[in-house]
Amino acid sequence: MPIEIDEKNLKKGLLGLVVALVEIITELLEKQALLRIENESLSDEEIERLGEALADLSEALETIKADNNIEDTVESVRCGLDEVVDDVVDKLMNPARWAKEVEKHDRNRPGEISLLDS
Amino acid sequence: MTETDQARYLYLIANTEEERSLGDVGLGDSPVYTIVFQDIAAVVHASKPEPEPAKNEEQAKQWILNHNYVIDKATENFNTVLPFSFGCLARGDDKTIKRWLQKNYGLYKRELERLKNSAEYSIQIFYDPKILEKQIIETIPELKEIDQKIETMPKGKAYIFKKKFELGLKQAVSDHLASMGREFGKLIKENSIQTIIEEKIPYVPEKYAGKKVMVAFSCLVAQENVDRFGQSLEKINKREEFAVRFTGPWAPFNFVDLKGNIEDET
Repeated sequence: MPIEIDEKNLKKGLLGLVVALVEIITELLEKQALLRIENESLSDEEIERLGEALADLSEALETIKADNNIEDTVESVRCGLDEVVDDVVDKLMNPARWAKEVEKHDRNRPGEISLLDS
Repeated sequence: MTETDQARYLYLIANTEEERSLGDVGLGDSPVYTIVFQDIAAVVHASKPEPEPAKNEEQAKQWILNHNYVIDKATENFNTVLPFSFGCLARGDDKTIKRWLQKNYGLYKRELERLKNSAEYSIQIFYDPKILEKQIIETIPELKEIDQKIETMPKGKAYIFKKKFELGLKQAVSDHLASMGREFGKLIKENSIQTIIEEKIPYVPEKYAGKKVMVAFSCLVAQENVDRFGQSLEKINKREEFAVRFTGPWAPFNFVDLKGNIEDET
């Protein structure tokens, strides 16, 4: 069966992914800026310049999202990424959870009860 | 007709010695009845051996409601039951089911006894982020100070400090919720025989729009404890920043343990 591709949706999805990634990078930059402020390694003037640049970037991203109607797409990409990261971190922290999940899946599956061989 | 030409759709296993009909209350108005072995019984309807797919979504929904209706009705009649998930079909006739009950009698009887006079309840605790944030800002002077100073700062600095404020507030809310979650969890555990933390909440009523889910539990609660349990939850519900959704009693779907190894996850 051929895969049907909707060009409009593809563009929207791709742009959503790019904006979501830029947002994440912006947040990392903001955290770095805050760390530097706490370490007192930035002057007042540098803080103002950095803050203005980050504010402009954030504003530009909001405009792109609104103009292209991709707010929901970006939100959905970010939620998806959050879930993947949460899941990976959770399983790395609690390997026992894997075993539990498998066990839970196997437990009480009435569809698999074999009656005729009893 | 051989036993492989037939099947029985399974609803549940109950404590009863009585062979009886529960009426035409099954999927597609099928007659539902008990198949007894000693003092336990499977509640079933006679079905074709191949699963019949629903014609449309509406019919599928109706079947699921029928399935749950039979479980509710059987719970009224027989007290505690061991419910089956929707869509469980066993190939064979009444004799096959009887042999299966005979083979697993000890297991099912033990579970029915263990779950006797108890029921499953679902608890979801929501919080109102706006009220909670307001309360938290009042208790953390550093956050309050940043919040007040932002207005007087130039654009760039204000942006950075707004981010600092947001991150600090987010962390404080998360710490507060974790601490309250432990407190509520302890309270719920004290009043339950078993508890399971639910990781996914499929449906949130309109009434809780604007609120966020803090934690959700499925609890197995003894009948004698239900009132006390409800009162404890009401105390949480009365707090301005929290709301509790407490539903049940349900058949103990999450607590039937046919392998003897359910662990308390809290």
